[in-house]
Amino acid sequence: MNVTDQTRRQFFGTSALSLAPVALSSLLASEQDDGPLPAQRPHHRPCAKSIIFLFQIGGPSQLDLFDPKPMLLRREGEPLPESMLKQISFAQIQEKQPKLMGSPWKFARHGECGATVSELVPHTASIADQITIAKTIKTDDTNHMFAELMMNTGWRQFGRPSLGSWAVYGLGTESQDLPAFTVLRSGMRPRSKGANYGNGFLPSKYQGTPLRASGDPILNLANPDGISVDTQRQSIDAINDLNRLRLQQTGDDEIAARIASYEVAFRMQSVAPELLELKNETPQTLADYGIDDPAKPSFARNCLIARRLVERGVRFVQCFHGDWDHHTGIASGLPQQCQLTDQPSAALVKDLAQRGLLDDTLVIWGGELGRTPVAQKSDKPNVAVGRDHQIEAFTMWLAGGGVKPGQTIGSTNDLGCLPTSESWHVYDLQATILHALGLDHERLTYRYQGRDFRLTDIHGEVKRQLFG
Amino acid sequence: MKSRLFKHRVGSTITMSLLLFGHGTLASGRIDYERVIRPLLAARCFRCHGPDKQESGLRLDERDRALAGGDGGTSIVPGRSRDSELIRRVTSVDEADRMPPKGKRLSPQEVDLLRKWIDQGAKGIPKSRASRAESHWAFQPIRRPTVPPPRNAAWPRNAAWPSNAAWPRNAIDRFVLDKLDEHKVTPSPEAPRETLIRRLYLDLIGLPPTWEEVSAFRDDRRPNAYERLVDELLASPHYGERWARHWLDLARYADSSGYESDKPREIWAYRDWVINALNADMPFDQFVTEQLAGDLLPIATIDQRIATGFHCNAMLDPGVRHESIIDRVNTTGAVFLGLTTGCAQCHSHKTDPLTHREFYQLYAFFNEATITEMRLDGEPLASSHLAPRDEPSTQDTNPKLEPDPQTTLVMKQTPQPTHIFLRGDRANPGELVEAGLPALLHVGRDASQAHPTKESSLTRLDLARWLLAADNPLTARVTANRIWQRFFGGGLVATEADFGIQTQEPLHGELLDYLASDLRSEKDPGWPGIKSLHRLIVTSATYRQSSIARPDIVNINSDNRLVAHQGRFRMEAEIIRDLSLSAGGWLSSKLGGPSVFPHQAAGILENRATPASWTTSEGEDRYRRGMYTWVWRLTPHPNLPLFDAPDGVTACTHRDRSNVPVQALTLLNDPTLVEAARSLAARIVNSSANSDAERIVLLVQTCLSRDPTSQELELLRTLIGNQRRTFATDHTAAAQVGSDKLPPECDPGEFAPWVVASRVVLNLDEFITRE
Repeated sequence: MNVTDQTRRQFFGTSALSLAPVALSSLLASEQDDGPLPAQRPHHRPCAKSIIFLFQIGGPSQLDLFDPKPMLLRREGEPLPESMLKQISFAQIQEKQPKLMGSPWKFARHGECGATVSELVPHTASIADQITIAKTIKTDDTNHMFAELMMNTGWRQFGRPSLGSWAVYGLGTESQDLPAFTVLRSGMRPRSKGANYGNGFLPSKYQGTPLRASGDPILNLANPDGISVDTQRQSIDAINDLNRLRLQQTGDDEIAARIASYEVAFRMQSVAPELLELKNETPQTLADYGIDDPAKPSFARNCLIARRLVERGVRFVQCFHGDWDHHTGIASGLPQQCQLTDQPSAALVKDLAQRGLLDDTLVIWGGELGRTPVAQKSDKPNVAVGRDHQIEAFTMWLAGGGVKPGQTIGSTNDLGCLPTSESWHVYDLQATILHALGLDHERLTYRYQGRDFRLTDIHGEVKRQLFG
Repeated sequence: MKSRLFKHRVGSTITMSLLLFGHGTLASGRIDYERVIRPLLAARCFRCHGPDKQESGLRLDERDRALAGGDGGTSIVPGRSRDSELIRRVTSVDEADRMPPKGKRLSPQEVDLLRKWIDQGAKGIPKSRASRAESHWAFQPIRRPTVPPPRNAAWPRNAAWPSNAAWPRNAIDRFVLDKLDEHKVTPSPEAPRETLIRRLYLDLIGLPPTWEEVSAFRDDRRPNAYERLVDELLASPHYGERWARHWLDLARYADSSGYESDKPREIWAYRDWVINALNADMPFDQFVTEQLAGDLLPIATIDQRIATGFHCNAMLDPGVRHESIIDRVNTTGAVFLGLTTGCAQCHSHKTDPLTHREFYQLYAFFNEATITEMRLDGEPLASSHLAPRDEPSTQDTNPKLEPDPQTTLVMKQTPQPTHIFLRGDRANPGELVEAGLPALLHVGRDASQAHPTKESSLTRLDLARWLLAADNPLTARVTANRIWQRFFGGGLVATEADFGIQTQEPLHGELLDYLASDLRSEKDPGWPGIKSLHRLIVTSATYRQSSIARPDIVNINSDNRLVAHQGRFRMEAEIIRDLSLSAGGWLSSKLGGPSVFPHQAAGILENRATPASWTTSEGEDRYRRGMYTWVWRLTPHPNLPLFDAPDGVTACTHRDRSNVPVQALTLLNDPTLVEAARSLAARIVNSSANSDAERIVLLVQTCLSRDPTSQELELLRTLIGNQRRTFATDHTAAAQVGSDKLPPECDPGEFAPWVVASRVVLNLDEFITRE
């Protein structure tokens, strides 16, 4: 798939053994290979150039946000029927007969499409006609850590490349000035931490670059006093030339990644300060996202930075936000998270649309799992109960990037715990996201340990319905 | 609905790779259930016919049930694949009939494996989950394996490697060579002496050798020069620092309490205890016992009480005592047993033999302890210092530079009842439990005999004894593996924190046991310190191999499981600082003491719920080793997480080694690292080296512990020449670049190019890498 990588490996592979002398000039000529990831041709005509994945850590409660179940209110407090109990797995609930719990929040139809959305996310409701809601997402593991890995790497253990790194491995980047795969965080860290945006067995240069979640998002952008841009350029050229010599001697791919890092770092120095200067945005834009203080880290600020990143050609942006893990205290916890995320998420979609970027940018909103229709009791008095993990069916929404808007795809049973239409397994979602980028998930492979690996392992079906 | 549940999802092509590499089919041609059949069934069948669900009454993961079959009758007829329903169903051409009902059908190879296995008698299915645990490799007693005999080359000889008979230096090498021979692979040649000394320095003391040390070793022709160097480093006080930091990763050490409040705490005395214990090569059983239960030893000394800081390191916040106890159980599980006990917090462990009840019996050990402050001088604390319950009373939001009196956090036994919390939930207390040891197979039977259940319940001291018991194979295996991991970049067992049932026996299982038996001798009831195992490893030919990549064997050597070469890996956050400061010549060699505050960027401590301060340390303390930097858990010094230092939230058994552009920005522009470049340049310019070439040679020797190649020399000479022209016309810039490090009587325009060149070398991949 990736010609440059393979050639380099073969080249250095041989030279590592024979230590054949290679003229310096020819090493310098290979700079093109070692620089940032050149844009590459997709497998088929893409409908999206960039992805913004608004990852909601912990599992937002679909039953209180997007998948209303009046039956739960009617049968409040009744035990979940035995027949269904047998078919679902909980993470924590051990009660023999867990009780149904309705949503205390009101739902209404919104937009011309008439999608049903909860009062907790009024801003998302206002973009009902621009998004598509998928209600039967399915994953394999009830444990956060492994469900996160499943969603982001297609495998329930550590060690596999993430969705973003597969995307930049397949496509390179349009921006030579910023990390092709950039990660932003707010609130709680994802439980599987860096593995969620790691490169696994792909070369390191494909891993996500996290920006800081507090203070300045990127430190040390300025050169030391007295070091001009020209001196910095000459210094980095020298560093990379010397590193290239070492790469030739050791055959260690990490050095290739380091060379690419220095190249991107140099370009970031000129581009990033302007990227992060949110004061250049109009007060209206800041207000739309709900940003009071652009210097203060927040999910809202990250959404705006995400737009500015894709505007500059960054391939894959992932904003992690936590925590939605409302086993208890959902009555207060859920509105609190909605307060932090609803407005900026919707503002991002509107903003992208307004700037003509939405057609080329696929926005994905959702977490690693969903929540149960049955209550999980609280351990503290006076705290409302919560919901446990549900993996058989939960909701995510997608917008832009060729997605046919205004659809509600899939349905769940009256109690909201099992799908009544085709499941969209995480592998299907991943195959579909790669498809949007013009990549065939069955052809996007990497040879490792003697076999070809892919994000979707041996699974995955592109859900063309999404694109209308 | 059935078909939906059957939907084939749990992907695994394990069998595929097994086929490729020829494992799992034993020499006799017998198909191994654990290695071949179980992964296949687990991936394709267990979801509906396993522990959680038994569609049509069929359960395939337990022997009797599997052989009995389901509602439709027998599914496996041992010895007769042709009569086995299982084979009929997986090969059925009728879509309504075939298994698995959805997803790809089994490949012909997979079916063939199943057939063969059934024809061979369908052996190996465990009787039950418990019996599977009983036969799990990691739970077997450690028996010192026989060292493979010396052998003659089975693999093709080549000019570069004429003889393997002479290769082994000690027993480790015989084990390694045995597997290399089996795979017809040659070991890598020995690394050059310059690489070896730098490797030893970085691995054993975490500091680079000076060029004088490198050249002395290079020219030392005594036959035992290498071993002498090893002994010298093992005796260095910095050895304790280097290995203490590894241990502190496990101990989730930090200088604040964590959570949103993240209050400062004083516990550096524990860190120093670890350094001193390692330097003194304290017997490992004593090292563990004092950390888990030093306060319970008869007439506990102050040091033994300080050691209990190990579990005081857990994060603390008012109202979260329960969580910190859970963390203590989980840390104990991960660090000593290599087991993911955390799963049993809410339910019995799904795979490993640890029950929900046993989890809370372990919980009880730590529930019966409270955390208090203790004065290091042994005087009683003034009452105002006494924490109300288990919460240190420090209200001060500024860390104390000179605390008076100096204190540390220690454990104190405080009996109280423990309930099982159903689903891990405190509001759901179940029956009362007493502290107790898991019935993990045979483990600890000796210990319980030696210390029969007394009238009073068990204490942390009994827990420590159980972990260290002669028949507990896990602590020694896990510890030996972790030591190996530090010397090669990865463990013999790659999942260093999970030795549970899901983890397969490593290729080098025998070697691991050999190392473990070195730690835990069957004959000697006591444990040695860990230095002797370190010596054994680093004096092996295996350790001394080159770290140059081996593309010739990449397909059979994933994760370097054959140990056919050394590891080449980036150094940790703290060591990167130490390397730069050493090159600059002003790294402080002071050992221990309160944590310090080196320079950090403004704004790092903003937006905290509890304000915190960072007053940059004065004098020597500004230039201490990275491991002494004060750690606010919530807002650590930015260079720590940037280079993957752990967050101190839970035990960290393995650090990532990320490689991203923002790291390059820091290495290039961080003021401390730029200051290091200036100082390095001043050293070079002030030296006796006069010509550009001499200076460049000295620069490379100082930073990389080797001579530059002619290409490198040329590149740096060109850089110096260009920069000299640049700064000749820009005096202001030259003065800024040299800043206060400009040597007397040196022209700023002449000095600045050397700062630029020094900065370049400090940014090289090789500089921050241990080869």
